[in-house]
Amino acid sequence: MVNLTIDGRAIQAKKGCTILDAAREHGIYIPTLCYHQALKPIGACRICVVEVKPGPPRPLPACATYVAEGQEVVTSSPKLDAIRLELMKLVLINHALDCPICDKGGECELQDLTHALGVSVVDLEAVKLPPHKDYVSELIERHPDRCVTCGRCVRICRDRVGALAINFTLRGYFTELASGGLPLDCEFCGSCIDICPVGALINKVFKYRARAWEVTRTEMVCPFCGGGCSYELWTKNDRPLRVVNYDTALLCGRGRFGFPVVESPDRLKTPLIRENGGFREASWDEALDQVAAKFKEITEAAGSAAIYGVGSPRATNEANYLFQKFFRTGLGTHQLDNPGRYTYVQALKGLAAVFGFPQVSGVEKVAKPPLPFHSPLTTTEEAKASGFPLVLGKLKDLPKADVALVVGADVTPELPPLGWALNTALERDTFHLVVANNRKTKFDRRAHLSLRYKPGSERLLIAGIIKSLLTAQPEWAPTVIAGGFDEFKENINKVNLKDVAKKTGVPEALIKETAARLAQAQAPAIIFGSELMGQDKGLENTLALADLFLLVGRPGAPGSALYPVAEKNNTRGVCEVGVMPEFLPGFVPLEGAEPGPTLPEMLDLLEKGDPKAPQALYLLGGDLLRQLPNRSRVEKLLKKVPFMVVQDAFLTDTAKLAQVILPVAVHAEQEGTFISTDGSLGLLPRALPVNGVRPDWQIISQIGSKMGFAMSYASPKQIFAELALGMPRWAGMAPKNGGAAFTAEVTGQFVPFETDISLPGRRPFTLLVGKSLQHSGSFTTHEPCGTLTITNRARLGLNPADAQNLGLAEGDFAKVTSSQGEISVPVTLTPELPEGLVFLPEHFSQPAAQRLTLNSNLVRVTIQKG
Amino acid sequence: MKATTLEIDDILERYPKQPQHLISLLQDVQAEYKYISPEHLALICDHVGVPLTQAWAVATFYKSFSLEPRGEHEIKVCLGTTCHLKGGGRLVEACERDLAVARGHTTEDLRFTLDTVKCVGACALAPVVMIDEDYLGAASIPSLQKRLEKL
Ligand code: SF4
Ligand code: SF4
Ligand code: SF4
Ligand code: FES
Ligand code: FES
Repeated sequence: MVNLTIDGRAIQAKKGCTILDAAREHGIYIPTLCYHQALKPIGACRICVVEVKPGPPRPLPACATYVAEGQEVVTSSPKLDAIRLELMKLVLINHALDCPICDKGGECELQDLTHALGVSVVDLEAVKLPPHKDYVSELIERHPDRCVTCGRCVRICRDRVGALAINFTLRGYFTELASGGLPLDCEFCGSCIDICPVGALINKVFKYRARAWEVTRTEMVCPFCGGGCSYELWTKNDRPLRVVNYDTALLCGRGRFGFPVVESPDRLKTPLIRENGGFREASWDEALDQVAAKFKEITEAAGSAAIYGVGSPRATNEANYLFQKFFRTGLGTHQLDNPGRYTYVQALKGLAAVFGFPQVSGVEKVAKPPLPFHSPLTTTEEAKASGFPLVLGKLKDLPKADVALVVGADVTPELPPLGWALNTALERDTFHLVVANNRKTKFDRRAHLSLRYKPGSERLLIAGIIKSLLTAQPEWAPTVIAGGFDEFKENINKVNLKDVAKKTGVPEALIKETAARLAQAQAPAIIFGSELMGQDKGLENTLALADLFLLVGRPGAPGSALYPVAEKNNTRGVCEVGVMPEFLPGFVPLEGAEPGPTLPEMLDLLEKGDPKAPQALYLLGGDLLRQLPNRSRVEKLLKKVPFMVVQDAFLTDTAKLAQVILPVAVHAEQEGTFISTDGSLGLLPRALPVNGVRPDWQIISQIGSKMGFAMSYASPKQIFAELALGMPRWAGMAPKNGGAAFTAEVTGQFVPFETDISLPGRRPFTLLVGKSLQHSGSFTTHEPCGTLTITNRARLGLNPADAQNLGLAEGDFAKVTSSQGEISVPVTLTPELPEGLVFLPEHFSQPAAQRLTLNSNLVRVTIQKG
Repeated sequence: MKATTLEIDDILERYPKQPQHLISLLQDVQAEYKYISPEHLALICDHVGVPLTQAWAVATFYKSFSLEPRGEHEIKVCLGTTCHLKGGGRLVEACERDLAVARGHTTEDLRFTLDTVKCVGACALAPVVMIDEDYLGAASIPSLQKRLEKL
């Protein structure tokens, strides 16, 4: 701690904090303009000047001056006031002063400062500059005449988003914010809008819809991806108008501009029942009665195992928990799974095999009744935990790692917050980034090492890295207790580095260098995405990475962890609350009973016409046809199911196969919680009217009650209390936090993994089905979602040389054929892709990428013009 | 102007594909073509791996780069303190009127580029106008007009 005085007040401040931090912490006001808590200070505007003794004989910027022992700081004096006034006049000299029509009016830092500093006249004159307003860029409007050249937008775009899409042009008085003289061509995350202190950057989705003081603000978690960002939702007259993140200003485009999808005209409004080959509208009572009656009829005739459930990575923890309770307690079966089985669950299984299932001790009930959505459990002093969740990293710790290896993830589209964390880490010179991918991705530009491997060869590459490390350092030993090391070493010994280099396409020297960096690291982090988990050998890929982490990881060091991407808002939650046949809530392995088939196994049973194949399917949202590989097969198999109930907000292709469709609440029409990719709890409070649809939890509870199960609940709060009581690992869990700290006991067991990387078929191209930056699942593909203006359809990414050989130009249609099917899609020339690799986003229904896939997100295809 | 210009590719080849070579490339292209066209800027960006906005910021920050074609002749009217006091402002205005071009820009026929500068270090001769490499001292509107007509 450092002792200093500010305006005569004795203050203790943390070492390394700035005078501004210390003042704010003690409620002392210092005006600022270019400072923002999410950015490194640059001391550009000098509005925050203070007098510091001992120090130079001139005022210093409080935002960029660090506290020191014995400092005397004065924040206000006639001299300082005069400087600030003069600076404000200079700022205002060419300001548009169009507050009445400026969207920022009412929450503008310049308005506030003008008021606070008592600037009444600007008695300076200068040539008026022509404002080069930008009305043509999508989603963001620019008014340079309102800009105060604080550089906050430029810095957030460069230092956090990493897009470097905007910068100042010219200099001095003529300085103007610009994007290279062209309309914006960027990530359209809109973070620059929220960080701008004035109205120079305007959110087009929100423009002219309300004034800042007229809206109701509700803080909530973003319900799109697994990033778990929190924001304020602005509503007026029950309509969602805008989302703002006041804390870091960072959100991605789908989070910031995606919410209008709530008001999509495509939303289902009433339950639908299949009749005469079509659907007719039905009342809730009728639809729910029919579902309950039919379920009963089927269980009476064929046993309760005849109903199979598929939970949803979109639905809340509460809904998913009730869903599994419906099966496990109500029907007494374990016939359920979630679609994460094809991606994230593969990773969890791999991690669990190496690091074990979670074990927790030293947890007790809290004395007082807990607040809503707070765990009723707390940790005692002896609280201990072990198992794979302990090696899963937190995003806020990632910048503390010193080496990060990214494999099989185009970081930003997969999980934007991972990208922000990497950019933050990259501000430290000691941080090393190694990016391995089958194509050039955004972070390759900043990587210290860039490895380009052949599609699908990840696990062999990892084997090569391990081999190279163990060859260079035969005495190497993991930092944690690890079993099976000797056999593992023997197995790895068989790996031939030359062979690895040849098959993966990564030069031996780069493999060795990667191994050396990992070996030197004090806090290595390993990041991987659904690109790698979504292969048919996703489990083997994760085993390889888990083994690598067991070998080089230092779980005690902050930031040293594994960071698998949980793609959707509740991909992790749906697993944690037990919507998998083999795990009860809290990843407790099911014992003493036979787990039901997994989702792929269930499809196999249907294919074989096995007597154990389900007679009824209960789908909690999730357009399986759009998500699962081999669409035509899935379609054929789902059609075989006599009775299918789908809860969804939209009439998806899967819903069209159902007998009963129940329309559900989305976004802030419902209350509940999610678990983000890093395990923290996000709270979604209700802020929008439901207009006749119902939240998932309520529907499940009503069907359950009608079937005679004890499943009636008053609210998600009550469900959370019950759920969290059974989850010792969630002890201390509260909104925006990941629970109490346990003493970690990390141990592991090396598990051999397969290194065969052959991809079936002989077609000349490899297609990768992956993520687009502007979309999250299929949720964002409905009008009027804001990001549809940026990416409105699927386009096939193709290397320009390949395109030329095929006679294809940008926008031409290509016919893509695999062993499974054929689609026609416009191409977009993508130099980032190597020759021979093509890319298709997974989100859209037309053309459906999954028509081409077999059992993996990689498939061999032929491409022709037409 | 030289009779033949180097191909842009030959200029790019001079530097490795690293961001730190941005300014050198801008300088070479500026020297060869007298300005940096949007196409060339894009090629430079691709070569050194710098986003367009960043290169644009650099190219507009330094006066020695031009993103517009430069005229055959460059007229630089001095507006430094002395020249300003001696009426440099009126000289620029006269040029703008006579050549129908705004300061900082080039005439449509690409004959002249009109610029203002802040002191060329010849205050004793104020007001000064530089035409290409020559100084025109104690300039007046008629003397300037005469000089331009000669070109
Ligand atoms: S929207 Fe995002 S990527 Fe685009 S300029 Fe703003 S901060 Fe940069
Ligand atoms: S646009 Fe806004 S954030 Fe960017 S420099 Fe101008 S005032 Fe600052
Ligand atoms: S990163 Fe994910 S959680 Fe954050 S705003 Fe974007 S979609 Fe929402
Ligand atoms: S806020 Fe400190 S210099 Fe701008
Ligand atoms: S002011 Fe014009 S030459 Fe010095």
